[in-house]
Amino acid sequence: MRTALLAVAGSVIAIGIAAGQASKPAPATLPDWSGVWQMVGPTVFDRTTVQPQNGRAGDAGVREFPPYTDEYEAIYKKNIEKIKAGTFPDPISVCGVPHGFPRIMNVPDVYEFAVTPAATYVLAENGPGILRVYTDGRQHPPADELWGTYTGASVGRWDGDTLVFETRGLKESRDNDVIVDRTGLVLSDAARVTTRMRKINDTMMEAVIVVDDAKALKASWKVTKQYRKLPAGTWAWDYGCAENNRNPISNSGKTLTLGPDGKPIDKKTD
Amino acid sequence: MKISKLIVAGALCAAASAPLAAHHSAAMFDDEKVVELNGTIKEVQWTNPHVWIQVVVDNNGQKIDWSIEGGSPNSLSRNGWKATTFKSGDPVVVRVNPMKDGTPGGSFIGAKWKDTGKTIGRWE
Repeated sequence: MRTALLAVAGSVIAIGIAAGQASKPAPATLPDWSGVWQMVGPTVFDRTTVQPQNGRAGDAGVREFPPYTDEYEAIYKKNIEKIKAGTFPDPISVCGVPHGFPRIMNVPDVYEFAVTPAATYVLAENGPGILRVYTDGRQHPPADELWGTYTGASVGRWDGDTLVFETRGLKESRDNDVIVDRTGLVLSDAARVTTRMRKINDTMMEAVIVVDDAKALKASWKVTKQYRKLPAGTWAWDYGCAENNRNPISNSGKTLTLGPDGKPIDKKTD
Repeated sequence: MKISKLIVAGALCAAASAPLAAHHSAAMFDDEKVVELNGTIKEVQWTNPHVWIQVVVDNNGQKIDWSIEGGSPNSLSRNGWKATTFKSGDPVVVRVNPMKDGTPGGSFIGAKWKDTGKTIGRWE
């Protein structure tokens, strides 16, 4: 009897592992995304719509044109005015929160893309930031088990050499505690983002990001980011943002500059 | 006495200099202006999220300590910098986008060593 039970239990375990393996790609079929990569261009999220052309994220008057609903267009305009007033702090300035998604696909410094059968990890040196894309056959958690986080929950699959993944469970921006870029773009907690990542050639990667957001957007918003491979042997390093952060935020949202003595050198702190 | 008159060895000029990648808003810097600081390296803080270079400028006997913000050591190291690139006591001319409010701080553009003529960063 005991032997029979063990045999049955063993069979169940074997079936479970086999099912899990069946949903994961074989390592030999996975693309080689090794190396160190750098995003092409500045950190304006949607460079196809930015005005003025070549405007830089964070500069006064620079904006993009996502298909915002009236409510979110009003929020964006309010943020743009805060930038003009110098009171729109970048939430990452405090060195305590992640960039979040999709912003993690739009940061300076360098990236590494770690591809494994069960998951692909986007490792952003800046932040530091990690995007986990699970490809082990799991589904997104049910809605009542998902809460808003900066980077959300990403589930993907391989379509040939293209990683296709959907991201849900993003944190709603409250008081601009998470932004898409420094022009003041934000999304709601209804956002669902589908990303297709692939290697265009040996030295270029592409991420086509389609944002759907029933609260914030009237239509899908498609943005493409590209990443260039840096020379072999390039290092990515530890980025300890809190190591020596001389740019705290004042109560009014102004970004301050500290002198070497730790005191603000700004003429006015608020 | 206004600091801006005292420390500017070169002319203030408009510049289309690209700001360094920063973890914060760059609203405090005036990227339409370039100030040239003629001074001596006091200290380099080779730290994240930004490298800071303290440059002492002699203003008719009054020592003014400028705080110059650079990129991250990570990105700078990938562009030829070392933690020892600037040493305490180095005589330098440093170009910065200054703080808008006139306080002695700025965003690093480029530098030239007065003794060797070597340059780093953007120095056209």
